[in-house]
Amino acid sequence: MASGDREPILETKDLTVNFKTYRGDVKALDRVELALYRHEVLALVGESGCGKSVSALAILGLLPQNALILDGQILFKGEDLLKKSSEQMREIRAEEIAAIFQDPVTFLNPVLTVGVQLREAFFVQKHVWNRTLPDTAENKSSGDEIKEFLMRKDRPEAEAQADRISAREKQKITEELSIKMLHLVRLPDPERILTQYPHELSGGMRQRCMIAMALARRPSIIVADEITTALDVTVQAQILMLLKELRDSIDASTLLITHDLSVAAETADRIAVMYAGNVAEVATTKELFRNPLHPYTQLLMRCIPDVRKPVVRLESIRGNVPDLIDPPSGCRFHPRCPFAMEICREKKPVLKDVGNGHLVHCHLY
Amino acid sequence: MTEEILVVDDLRTWFPIKAGLLQRTTGHVRAVDGVSLKVRRGETYGLVGESGSGKTTLGKSILRLIEPTGGTVLFDGIDVTKATKGNVKKLRRRIQIIFQDPYASLDPRQTVGSTLSEAMRTHGLVSSKADAIRHAKDLLRRVGLNDEHLFRFPHEFSGGQRQRVAVARALAVDPDFIVLDEPTSFLDVSVQAQVLDLLKDLQKELNLTYVFISHNLSVVQYMSNRVGVMYLGRLMEDAERDSIYNSPEHPYSYYLMAAIPIPDPEFKKVPKLLSGDVPSPVNIPPGCRFHPRCPYATEKCRAGEVPFYVGSGSHHNVACHYSIDFERGAQTLRPASLTQAAEARTRSQAG
Repeated sequence: MASGDREPILETKDLTVNFKTYRGDVKALDRVELALYRHEVLALVGESGCGKSVSALAILGLLPQNALILDGQILFKGEDLLKKSSEQMREIRAEEIAAIFQDPVTFLNPVLTVGVQLREAFFVQKHVWNRTLPDTAENKSSGDEIKEFLMRKDRPEAEAQADRISAREKQKITEELSIKMLHLVRLPDPERILTQYPHELSGGMRQRCMIAMALARRPSIIVADEITTALDVTVQAQILMLLKELRDSIDASTLLITHDLSVAAETADRIAVMYAGNVAEVATTKELFRNPLHPYTQLLMRCIPDVRKPVVRLESIRGNVPDLIDPPSGCRFHPRCPFAMEICREKKPVLKDVGNGHLVHCHLY
Repeated sequence: MTEEILVVDDLRTWFPIKAGLLQRTTGHVRAVDGVSLKVRRGETYGLVGESGSGKTTLGKSILRLIEPTGGTVLFDGIDVTKATKGNVKKLRRRIQIIFQDPYASLDPRQTVGSTLSEAMRTHGLVSSKADAIRHAKDLLRRVGLNDEHLFRFPHEFSGGQRQRVAVARALAVDPDFIVLDEPTSFLDVSVQAQVLDLLKDLQKELNLTYVFISHNLSVVQYMSNRVGVMYLGRLMEDAERDSIYNSPEHPYSYYLMAAIPIPDPEFKKVPKLLSGDVPSPVNIPPGCRFHPRCPYATEKCRAGEVPFYVGSGSHHNVACHYSIDFERGAQTLRPASLTQAAEARTRSQAG
């Protein structure tokens, strides 16, 4: 999906974030520029400490207390999220930007059943009542109905109905929606799962519940932070397949954060490679793999073993990821870069468009 | 040279589940449940499996860091499971283990030099302090660090360097055999290869034998000569590296290989998905433990434990009643004589 001249739904501009620590300030993000377009999957890829998760937390307004946002904007539908109050951000997280994290155990409430937690997700929206009620009588196939729900094909006249529905009816509607939602994320026997507690489910099932809860809010953006990292490969494959299947039935853009370039290759439309708090390169997935431009991307691709092409010798990038309390001058990759020139030590490059929305942060281009 | 340095036979490591006021044993977690394998001198045996498959427990049981419940482990002809305390200490000089997390496995209050010399002194390998320091410096150079690192503490190193220190610590006692338990899964990809290559080089120089445990199939493929696939405490398949990666014969290995993400967006992968998750090792399904998730399962699979059959590849053992053509979905029963052949081969190699 080429970015073209479409308007991004979410954009970070010059986002600069420091963390205060007793050793000094960690310069975690340095003028990060990212754009997420409608209905695309953008993968943020990088090694630990590259700033991919910090970017996500900044977008969600969930940065820890010791974070300092020094500069920049996060534009969502034209509004700067950094100017919102914490109350407004809560609302945005409830209705617009949903997050799924690596470890569902920490995000599910252990003392409430899955059903209670999933129903809560529907209650935050007024429109729910308006559409679902008449349809249940029409005996529509469950798949279509949930898809219409996800595509926000609400009936305009429904808004006002919310007050006329009794609590018991609301309970019934959300119950039915929950069951359909769990069907959608391919959980077997949804009726039983609704009555279970998180600890009774396996890791893959919990992650599916988290996805269902995120979708139930019909967000415009889903931030998925390392959602398959804690899962086994066979389960990871199931979840990635689910994400691919869901793409077309939801009206949302996905920001997929992963350390695994292979996972990004299989799921994303575009990939942004991050290194030490900078965006190193952005391109469509195919373009990035066909024609990686940034030396870091090129080297990174040679470090990943590919089971289809066994090699005698794997490559690695000399040196280590830098300590961001005292990041290298100029381009932060220069101490490890085989092509480093004089200018790389002195001047920070700009993120340059080399054509077709392929952006690269390097003096070579 | 194909001499076996390690022969594991029917190894079982069960953990009791205690419940109630009197802490009576109400059941067992069968973490390792009847594993037999052989490791040839100077080679790497890769163990792959998902979480809870028992690969780490198996690694620790080989060193008796966890007491096995049954079965035998023969290391260079010595039965590790029956060795006395003094003999275990002697064996541990020869068998070392490197863990996943170098942040946890190195003592934060000891300098690298003192960590290394402590290992040498424990096994009486050095006569004086000067001797220990000289030896420690050699080790550091060997793993790609330098003399000045001797006086540093673990927190002063990066993850990759710390894992190098852990390697030096294992080498300090001049072992023949090292169990590597997920040695690179804490590291970033850009440094992972540095550590893997170091391990490969050391193996050649010092004629070391490795058991390489990992959930990362690509890394195991890179490191190993022979590979075993574990599922819920048992080996499902055990074969030469290329044989198992190019033509897996057990349905679990087949689906496991198919689930590996490929770093190539233009590679058209035919989705082959397994349903469900790994069951809990407390309630192991009867018969073949893989049968509830296996699309080829039949009545026979539910009936009883599946023995090892001789597969079609060279020295290929597979715990599945059926020979399956995965492309066409056709399955034929393997003749029982092939289990006898597998048993005979196991016996002749063990003896």
